[in-house]
Amino acid sequence: MPNIAVFIEQRAGQIKTVSWQMLSAARALVDQQGGEVWGVHLHAAGCQVQDQAGQHGAHKVFTAEAPAFATYDSELWTQALAAFTREHKPDVLLIGSTAMGKDLAPRLAARLDCACVSDAVGLSWDGGLVVKRPVFAGKCFAEVTSTAPLTVVGIRPNAFAQEAVGGTAEALALTPALDAAAARARVTSEETGSAGKVSLTEAEVVVSGGRGIKGPENYVLIEQLAEAFGAAAGASRAIVDAGWVDYSHQVGQTGKTVAPNLYVACGISGAIQHLAGMSSSKCIVAINKDENAPIFKVADYGIAGDLFQIVPALTEAVKELRG
Amino acid sequence: MKIAVCVKQVPDSETRINLSGPAAALDSSSFTMIINPYDQFAVEEAVKIKEARGAGEVTAVTVGAQARVREMLKKDCLAVGCDKAVVVDDPALANADPLAVAKVLAAVLRRDQYDLVLFGIKAIDDDASQVGVMTAELLGLPHVGYIGALELGQTTLTARREVEGGVEVVTSPLPCVLTCGKGLNEPRLPSLPNIMKAGMKPVEVVDCAALGVAVPASHTAVKQYTPPPPRGACTMITADTPAEAARALARKLRDEAKVI
Repeated sequence: MPNIAVFIEQRAGQIKTVSWQMLSAARALVDQQGGEVWGVHLHAAGCQVQDQAGQHGAHKVFTAEAPAFATYDSELWTQALAAFTREHKPDVLLIGSTAMGKDLAPRLAARLDCACVSDAVGLSWDGGLVVKRPVFAGKCFAEVTSTAPLTVVGIRPNAFAQEAVGGTAEALALTPALDAAAARARVTSEETGSAGKVSLTEAEVVVSGGRGIKGPENYVLIEQLAEAFGAAAGASRAIVDAGWVDYSHQVGQTGKTVAPNLYVACGISGAIQHLAGMSSSKCIVAINKDENAPIFKVADYGIAGDLFQIVPALTEAVKELRG
Repeated sequence: MKIAVCVKQVPDSETRINLSGPAAALDSSSFTMIINPYDQFAVEEAVKIKEARGAGEVTAVTVGAQARVREMLKKDCLAVGCDKAVVVDDPALANADPLAVAKVLAAVLRRDQYDLVLFGIKAIDDDASQVGVMTAELLGLPHVGYIGALELGQTTLTARREVEGGVEVVTSPLPCVLTCGKGLNEPRLPSLPNIMKAGMKPVEVVDCAALGVAVPASHTAVKQYTPPPPRGACTMITADTPAEAARALARKLRDEAKVI
């Protein structure tokens, strides 16, 4: 009967949606196998998660509140989670594969000398945990098993659906002893990028542009379609390397890996390095003037045509449908 | 300044993986092996630091069969400015998981004592993104992961790392472990004369016994590899005008795919 702990991530007091997705995934596993789902939440004052965690399947929520948890620090977070796992001994600890999670999970796993598996898209139980994750840029999947008493698993955002089961969670307090002197790499400032814009790796819809947009001045077409969808705007490596858009928008190898519900590729031919970053998206739309472009091989819907006519028209159509 | 760069050899991103069903292992006989592209940012950064200071030494460290990694070390590390290389070649590490690899790298790095240790943010084969940070923890060092810019002082550094919706500015004392991403620099290409000269640079080959450590056990194992789920055929949308095609697509996204 596995007890599965889920790290409920907050950044600046905002809970990452992958936290609810992980609780739902954990609940589905324990509903079959027995055991409990435990939320673990580190926060500075005023970030309450008990009700929502219960809603999404947590039986218990362990909360540590300290001023130090206002800004992420890999050392202090590791100390707190290490203390929690040593005391409560979960069998599995799920951590979102976010900027914070990818920083935290390996340090924690090395400190605890336990198993660590990144970027999971599937969890099952077959005498023990089996983690499914894409490897070789999504060209195949690996099913990974663990022989350690604790397995830390990074969960890819949007890989699991968030489901409200309408439960309530028991609230428990954690009071980890923190050694602040051990924290040497410190975040000294945070710069918020384009405020209000949707983050690429967490977005439910991503609209990306490639060389087909012909010049940096036309990227606005991609941004307008993204805005109509409430989506994040992405880009192919070609237009990032050409200096048309900032690297933070790049999807694919040497850029970001995304798995949204909808990915719209505009003027992107579909080089293997680009597919590496988006091929596990649930629904893929391709708009490209070359009907033989490889992007159509992975797409669910395609329009072969001039993106300068289709993209603005799609922007209008989406605005109409979304009201 | 003594700098170590940890690099990994991986299959080229163009590599095809032909799986018809579940398989216990992948047939790597046809793979073309290259240096992990992210590790090139780490190599370039290390060499740039050495050049800017006019002094120092850069050591490339890798785990793998020496016969396979030698060409990578020569062309992609030693020919672009690394001074020497260490290869941990131990058949017992063939299926080592990231933490086991980190333990072996930590043994090398502990033995030789570096001011700065650089990694790529992740390797493009297993995409684990674990070894750099794990190595920092095993060495008892701070780390800054996923950096896109670096300012190095005499005893401290300041790095910028991208997070969702912004950038974190992190300062750390040295020694420190960094994982390097795109945007940090433009890796240089090796010149022919430098590739020739690189053949003269020292490459040390060791195994776990020579490092004085037991072969670390892996806590995880790949039970099997499976092909990706097949994607259905692409529904091509045609209409008399672009506007009609766009409207038809939007309706399908709402009614069929249910993503609007």
